[in-house]
Amino acid sequence: MVKRKVAALEKVEADLVNLQYKIRRDPRSYAQEFHDQWLAYDAQRQIFISSPTTASSEDVKKFHDLVDLVAHVADLYPEITTPFPDQLKELLNQHHATLDKELREKVVGSLVLLRRKDVIDSTSLLTTLFPILISTPSKTLRSLLYTKIISDLRESNSKTTNHKLNRTIQTVLHNLVTSDRTSTKGMWATRITRELWRRQIWTDARPCDVMKEACLSDNEKVVIGGVRFFLGGDKEREELEDESSDEDVDIKKVKHQGVINKKTKKRQKAYEKALEKIKKHERKKHAPHPLNFSALHLIHDPQGFAEQLFQKHLQNTKNKFSLESKLLILQLVTRLVGLHKLTIISLYSWFVRYLTPKQLNVTSFLASLAQATHNLVPPDVIEPLVVKIANEFVSEASASEVAAAGINAIREVALRQPLCMTETLLQDLVMYQKSKDKGVVMAAKGLQSLYREVYPELLQKKYRGKQATMGLRAGEIRQRQFGEEEEGGIEGIELLERYKEEQKRKKQEERALNSGDTDKKEDNDDSDDDGFNSDEWEVASTDSESSGGWIDVSSESEDDEPAKKKRRKGDEEEEEEDAEDTPALVDTSTEAGAAAAAQAEINRISKLATTTILTPTDLAKLEELRREAKLDKALGRSSKRKKELIDKHIEDGLTADDIELPALLGKKTTKEERVALAREGKPARDEHKSTQAIRHAKKDAEGKSTTNREKARKKNFLMTIGKARAKNKRSLVETSKTMRAHIARSKSGGRRRNGG
Amino acid sequence: MGSSNKKKKEKKKDFQKAKLKVGKAKPKAANFTDTSFKSKSIVVNQQTLVTDDSDPAEQFKQNLSLAINAKSDNHRRDALAYITNQLSGTPPNNPVGTSAVLTKLLPLLSDGSASVRTQLLKVLRALPPAEVGPHVEKVLMYIRGGMTHLSNDIRSDTLNILEWLLEVAGDETVSCPGGWMKTLNSFSSMLGWNPNVGSALNSKGWTSSSRATLGTKRGPEAQARQIHVLAKFLQAGFKPEAPTPYNPMAYWGNIYRLPGTPSPFAYLNLFGTPRDEDNEMYPDRISRQRIFDAKWRVAITRGMESAKKEGGTVGRAAATLDKALAAGLG
Repeated sequence: MVKRKVAALEKVEADLVNLQYKIRRDPRSYAQEFHDQWLAYDAQRQIFISSPTTASSEDVKKFHDLVDLVAHVADLYPEITTPFPDQLKELLNQHHATLDKELREKVVGSLVLLRRKDVIDSTSLLTTLFPILISTPSKTLRSLLYTKIISDLRESNSKTTNHKLNRTIQTVLHNLVTSDRTSTKGMWATRITRELWRRQIWTDARPCDVMKEACLSDNEKVVIGGVRFFLGGDKEREELEDESSDEDVDIKKVKHQGVINKKTKKRQKAYEKALEKIKKHERKKHAPHPLNFSALHLIHDPQGFAEQLFQKHLQNTKNKFSLESKLLILQLVTRLVGLHKLTIISLYSWFVRYLTPKQLNVTSFLASLAQATHNLVPPDVIEPLVVKIANEFVSEASASEVAAAGINAIREVALRQPLCMTETLLQDLVMYQKSKDKGVVMAAKGLQSLYREVYPELLQKKYRGKQATMGLRAGEIRQRQFGEEEEGGIEGIELLERYKEEQKRKKQEERALNSGDTDKKEDNDDSDDDGFNSDEWEVASTDSESSGGWIDVSSESEDDEPAKKKRRKGDEEEEEEDAEDTPALVDTSTEAGAAAAAQAEINRISKLATTTILTPTDLAKLEELRREAKLDKALGRSSKRKKELIDKHIEDGLTADDIELPALLGKKTTKEERVALAREGKPARDEHKSTQAIRHAKKDAEGKSTTNREKARKKNFLMTIGKARAKNKRSLVETSKTMRAHIARSKSGGRRRNGG
Repeated sequence: MGSSNKKKKEKKKDFQKAKLKVGKAKPKAANFTDTSFKSKSIVVNQQTLVTDDSDPAEQFKQNLSLAINAKSDNHRRDALAYITNQLSGTPPNNPVGTSAVLTKLLPLLSDGSASVRTQLLKVLRALPPAEVGPHVEKVLMYIRGGMTHLSNDIRSDTLNILEWLLEVAGDETVSCPGGWMKTLNSFSSMLGWNPNVGSALNSKGWTSSSRATLGTKRGPEAQARQIHVLAKFLQAGFKPEAPTPYNPMAYWGNIYRLPGTPSPFAYLNLFGTPRDEDNEMYPDRISRQRIFDAKWRVAITRGMESAKKEGGTVGRAAATLDKALAAGLG
């Protein structure tokens, strides 16, 4: 029998997708149809609600489809569908545990869709989804809700920061964490906060506050979530930023493809998209870097927080957290102590118990102890700890790794508080550089070089070294007392000042040349300089001529007079002079005259810094000058390395690896380690062998043969030798004939006559 | 040289004996095949085709599940036919009860196959009318879903079922929660007489054809039938209640006797969600008339007038409707 031909319209009749398409095209004409479906949806909803658990699969399917249709066109018929969002919310709230999986997903998806169509607002969506997220036992639903919540928050913050919404959600999270401190529900608060922090959507103090509360929870998981955030959240954020800037479009390639390929609308669109992306990238590159404080800096009342953390989770003997968790918490507490220079005296006596080589993860404890030390910790609190480390770890009998770790830990502590050391102990420890183990030697030498810089009196004379001895004799190296702070100053400010004076002089001379009347001009210039120069606040204007202002000329000292005379010799000489001058100023020699000059210089510096306001232009110039003069190198002998070290640890914290590092010196790595090292960061492969071998294996597995070249290469030498010999014996005519034949053949497409 | 050496080695390998080692498992043979397997569930590929004729109750249940789950239209129809037979036999065999049959089979109301739907009607007709009464609300939900279904065939078949329902349980149909207003709503939507939706379009249109429809043509027959069923529905709603004969014991019976009807206090809606105007119960004629007057009279009268003008079958149906209205409201 011939199959009956079904008219196209008849066939699609019961097709909701088609109806949706038509409604979208012409909502006015299909209002009636939509109303029908709305009624059908309503009836189906009632069927479903009357017995949600026993609803037949067909009913569920029908309801699913109708929800889908209504959600997609709800924005076109706002009057009819007013109750729709509330119905969905109610359905989800009451039956999320028993709903069919697909239907549940559809309802969540529809709510998000309604949010995207602006039928409901973000707050109502999130306040619906959030309670379900923390209460549902279904893993799939949780992950779905989590992604939806995150994406909605991202979306609503994409154009401008939606402060109101953020505040609402942060309050919800804060309440979640604080309301029931024993439950694991706080996990979700930490997860959401961490994700949004990572994406730089939340960057202020409030999310930090949420995390702070999470850290003070009673539930181990929640606490660890919070602690990990503070320890690693900022790094994560930076990494994400780097990653996002990595993805690049090769515009040249896209352009070239546009040339060689057929021109279609799709390709045109792709090209435009790539162009847009590049522009966006450029814009982002030139945009000022967003000023993001690290979470550790944004904590309100760090002293109280650190004390609470310590007392609640560490000092409390009833606490049953695992050792790893406790170590993480300890890391956070000590990090806070080191960073904010907090004082928690009981922390140090708490450490005593754990400072034995048999303690699990003892290097982490050592690292934490070093982290917790800063220059405002009383030395007599740390001294017993240092002595304990020395007694427990450092002896001839102990293993070399242990001794190396012990000495290194002592060095890290002493780096932050040099006063914690006694003379005898130090001399004893320094003697370990005579040890046989390389790690111990290096650690001991590190300790010695540290004390050469910070407190050479403690060392025996023969270990002090030249620089320190000289410095001691000159009285330049002076031991700072407990609590004494380094005087603040701006590195290289004297260079800036000199530069400014030079600029002024240049200007004056130019004017003098122009008018021939120097004295008069000078007076005028002085009066001009007092005026406010608004250009200075723009860093972008690199016009160095404009940096003449803001200086009180009367403060010029007489030292500059000779420089004035030299000025006439020309620019090159001038610069040389500068370069010579700079180290002389900094590297204080034993000459008394130089010392006096330095003193005068110091006075002058303080004046410049205190009497004028440095404009951004000035600061930019200062930076430049500093670089030119390689000031760091000249200055850096003593304090630079130390400062660098401390800076590094303030940024990154100290880890167990740092403590263990010297023990690794001089150790030979095994083959497995080397292979693991080589394999790191590369795509996984089952065996470590050459790429060539891998390619062969792959071809073999595919049942493919070798190439002709490979065959030729492998061919038995004796088989080829005859031909080679014959070739050598050919006459000139023969050779030319073969060559011609070769050319002719290649023109006609080779032996196989390809394309011929 | 390399390749020949390699080949030699490979050849040798075939005849080498595997060395046994103390404390190690015996090496597996080259042709060893691992036959162990793991599986979360056991899949039976074939079902047993032997039916157990001995137990009619089991067979009934099997057919009931077949009627819903079978993939093929014919299977479903046959299963329904079997159920019809069982129900209409003397004495009727219904091991699961009317309620279960209804809950199971109602989703078939919007089944894709026409033969299944007609067979469903037969099943329903075979059910004892007295036992349908308590389930009217549920049946009505499906009917309303079917009345606004996209497919016209399903719509018209649903009207058949509504007719059946009016026959067996007319009073319950119009007085159950949502039974009056919501059904009227569906009717008006079906006929395109809805005052809220698309009225602007109707007034502007130059044709008297009441509505733009999706796809198929809607013949006057379909519309006439819809009007006809609407008239029946209204008749059921406006039927004058028979005065209950005086019963001197009624007062005391009300107070002390257990009520004879299922859910006698349903109108109080003690445990359900609060109802709006559409979902409300309209238990007596007066309240139905009042709400009809307020909400639907204008729209339906207008629709009826225009239908009358069309004449033909539609006009005649409209006249019936007019009569029903006049009788009910007058």
